[in-house]
This record gives sequence, C-alpha cells and structure tokens, in this order.
Amino acid sequence: MEQMEIEKDLQTRELTLNMGPQHPATHGVLRLVLELDGETVIKCTPHVGYLHRGTEKLSENRTYIYALPLMDRLDYISSMSNDVGYCVAVERLFGIEAPERAKYIRTIMSEMTRISSHIIWLATHALDIGAMTVFLYSFREREWLIDLFEMTCGARLTVSYPRIGGVRCDVSREFLDSLYKFTEEFPKRIEEYETLIDQNRIWLQRTKGIGVISARDAVHCGLTGPTLRGSGVSYDVRKHEPYDAYPFVDFEVPVGENGDVYDRYRCRMEELRQSNRIIRQCIEKMPDGHILADDAPDLDMPPEGRKRLIPDMSLSHACISLSDECEHITPAGEFYSPTEVPKGELGFYIVSDGSGMPYRMRFRSPSFVHASALPRLCKGHMVADVIALIGTIDIVLGECDR
Amino acid sequence: MTLRDIAKKIFFLEIMKGLALTFRTMINHPVTRRYPKVKRDPFPGFRGRHAFVRDSETGREKCVACLKCSIVCPSRCIRIEYKETEGERILERYEIEALRCVFCGYCAEVCPVCALVLTEVYEYADYSREHFLFDRERLLKNWDDFSSGLKTDTYFNKFWRPEGIDIKRMPVGKRLQEPIPIKHEEKVL
Repeated sequence: MEQMEIEKDLQTRELTLNMGPQHPATHGVLRLVLELDGETVIKCTPHVGYLHRGTEKLSENRTYIYALPLMDRLDYISSMSNDVGYCVAVERLFGIEAPERAKYIRTIMSEMTRISSHIIWLATHALDIGAMTVFLYSFREREWLIDLFEMTCGARLTVSYPRIGGVRCDVSREFLDSLYKFTEEFPKRIEEYETLIDQNRIWLQRTKGIGVISARDAVHCGLTGPTLRGSGVSYDVRKHEPYDAYPFVDFEVPVGENGDVYDRYRCRMEELRQSNRIIRQCIEKMPDGHILADDAPDLDMPPEGRKRLIPDMSLSHACISLSDECEHITPAGEFYSPTEVPKGELGFYIVSDGSGMPYRMRFRSPSFVHASALPRLCKGHMVADVIALIGTIDIVLGECDR
Repeated sequence: MTLRDIAKKIFFLEIMKGLALTFRTMINHPVTRRYPKVKRDPFPGFRGRHAFVRDSETGREKCVACLKCSIVCPSRCIRIEYKETEGERILERYEIEALRCVFCGYCAEVCPVCALVLTEVYEYADYSREHFLFDRERLLKNWDDFSSGLKTDTYFNKFWRPEGIDIKRMPVGKRLQEPIPIKHEEKVL
C-alpha cells in the first residue's frame, strides 16, 4: 500500500517551462513556452510581439522618404541592408534607376552589413553554445566595419545612408582604401574563427545532427537565406532576381547538405568569404559619376506625391508655396519587391494609391518566418539544444515584431 | 579511423590549436580602449548633439523659419513658432526634443541656409529630461561648446552639401555656403 502511494507521487508529468522574454540567449525578447518530458522538448510555442513598434502603420503616415529612417530599426544589426531593400522597392515603384556608382556603393554597403551581421551571429551563437573566445575576436572585426560606416554616413548603427534614387553622400578615397585593406585582412580572420571552433569536439557535438530540417520542409516553412541554403536549396535573391550591382559581380551561393546546425554554420562562414569577394570586385570596378538619379525625389517631397519644390531664388517663395510643378511620380497599384538581407529574404509589399505616402506597407521579414519554424526544429531535442536552435535560425526580434 | 585521427582524439590537437591562437592574442597589443580616460574622436560628419550655427555677423542663429526641418523630421521632434512681418519671417520659438530625435540628419541636410547642424558631440547624458529639450539659447550654447573644442579654423558639415550630389538640386543658400570660421578664444593667463 505504501509502495503504491510513493509511486503515485513519483509519477512523471509534462512540465511547462516559460523561456524568455528576458532570457539572454533568446536574442531579444522572444518568449518560448516549452512543454518538457524530462529534458526532452515535446512542444514549443513561440510568442512574439514584445518589441512591436508599429513600423508598418507608422510608415503609412509618412512619405516614402521620411519612412526610411524607420527601416534602420527593423533589423538593427544590419540596418544598411534594410535601407537598401526599401530603396530598391520604392525605386521599382517610382520607376527610377539609380546611377551606376550609387549601385556599386550600395552593393558594397550591403555586403559589409552581411559580414558584420554574420560576425555578430557567429559571436552570439558560439557564446550561447559555450565558446566565449570567438565572441571577443569577432567584435574586433565588426568594429572596423562600423568605423567605416561612421566615416561615410556619420552614424554607426542606424545609418539611414541610402536614399531613394541613390545614396546620401559619396564615399571617400580613404574609405575605399581602408575597406580594401580590410578585404585583404579578413580571410585570415575567418581562418582564425575556424581554428577556434571548426574542429572543436564540443562544438561538433553540440551542432552536428541537431535541428535537421529537410529541403522540402524548409521550403514549406518558408525559410530563406542561409537557413534554407543549409538544407541544400540554392535560392538566393541576389542570383535569382538581381538588384543593384549584383549582376555585374561574380560570386557563388554556398549550400549545405544535411540541413543541421553545423551545415548552416558552414554556409554562413562560406558566405563571409563570398561577401569579401564581392566587396573586392566592387571596389575594383567602381565607376565615377553622380550618386543620385536626376529624377530622384527631394528629401522634402510633398505628401501629395509631387516630385519636388522648385529651388527658387527668393527663399520665402521656395519655402512657403508647394510650387507650381505638379508632376506626380507615384503610380497607383500594388507590388512586391524582394531583397536578400543577411537573415534571408526581406520583402516589401507596397499598396500605393498615387499619393506620396503608401496606402499600406507590409514587410515580409525573414526573422518572423524563421521564428515560426522553431516548433518544428525543437521537437524531440533537449532543452540545451533549444539555445543552439534559436541561434542557428538567426533571428532579430526587432525585425520579427516590427 | 586512421592513426592520425586517433592521435587527434587522444592529444586534443584541435583544442590545442585553438589555445595556441588565444595565447598568441594574449601577447598582442589590445584593441580595446579605456573609455572614460581615453576618448575616441568621431569621424567628421558624425551625427551627434544638435546645434544652431552662431552667425559671426549677427551673433544669433541663421534660421529663417522655413519649417523645412520640422516637415522633414521623421520623428516630428522639431517645433517652430514664428511671426510674419513684411514678408519676412521672424523666429519666435524653436525647440528640438532630443529624446525623440532619431539622428537621421535630414534636418541638417534639408536646411536651406545651413543653420542647423548635428555636431560631433556624443557625450551629453543627463539626469533630467528638461535638459534634452533644446531651445534656441540651448542650441546656440551647444554650438559654442562644440566650436570651442574644435581644433581646425573652419568648420563645414558634410551633410550641408553632400558630396557627389548635383549642385543644381540645392537652393542658393547651400550652393554659396562657405566653411564657417571658428574663433578660438585666446587663453588669458
């Protein structure tokens, strides 16, 4: 009788564990509700929305140009890519073509962002799994890139450097020299990171065979970017729907085989090398010329969708009246424009009613889609692997919650 | 499994390689900076604290109350009041809420007379929120603080006339803008 009662008390039950939103390894304010059987995850439910700032709604109240600084705040560690993606989208809507030089500058900037974002990913991912040294070393290289951003546009993180129809200001000679020196140095640094973790048995045990997702499942989940390419699907917006200067440069799209955490890590490391290659080519091929298209709208574009105010000799006239030039440049309609950001495919779906402000704007942000794949990835793994899985899908909650 | 693999496994070769790298880095020169003691100079054109350029002729700000900056501000943190006399606008109140500002630098870029500037000052944390409401006097004081720390004789902000953009797109005031002379007060001993 007593034995029975003791056994009744000892009966195992599922445990619900609330992970986050203040957990340091969830890369922001992601909340996961885990149902555990012992240490095995049976079910994982991600909750998002703790960092919701209403960027989509805010951009409805601003003209296309004023909405640009908001895009920095989507994915705050790769702000330049978001801006470029937004500018490409609006340029496609307006039918503006950026000048060659601006295109090359934007490509360089996007790839610099890709490197700095992947470096941060590597740093935090390795730190989560337990390798601390990589974290310290990778911030050294990131500092170099961020200094270069500051040299060009005066801000280190929230850059708002691209502009609809080009970029805001030209890059200097020293910028290009310093960046070229970086590209010479950087492959050695990648080798350093690889020396630290590539063959490390702890790293291999924590990453190999964890979070396997087949190519078919990955496509069905809507994964993009390195997370998808780790499963062996060669899909890259830069190759399939080229924008900016990507058609003029030569690069490869690295793909993995098994679709586990380790393959995705290999993919990203290879992408660092390819980005380095793209930057080198862009610097070598950089053409001269203007950096802003002639028909680009001015910064103070009126909200009615007219192109610009005429800069007049009499200052007061130029400032007060909205000028006689009534050239509408925003066509009505809706369209979707994808770009490849470090995390995956960032798409802008814009519904335009012909005015200078979007009627509705929606972002297809990779982090949000990737977070939705977490339940499938986590199922059947240990609690400790959940940390590795959050790292491998590379989410930034600013972009996820928008 | 070859002999090499076994040796790798027993002697922790890959971990030893990693440790060799860490020990090598230990004797290298550190890349970090002891911040409050060693300060970092921002690059020219850094978008920091706002200031009104003090006109050397009038000793006041150059703002003409065209409202462009308040229109273009994405976070709507600039408030301007003016009165109009004989077709001329006279600035009465100008306020920037620095806590709402996103430091995009659009206001400095759009200003037709180069009156507003985002200076390279980045250390201005304070305990009270009132100190971040920059009014006219405060903005001019910011300029004085900034210009006294400058080492050069002239100052020209990069976003007043961005390089590479066709000059025809800009209003006359910006086209003719020349670098602003900085008066350095001589130290009285």
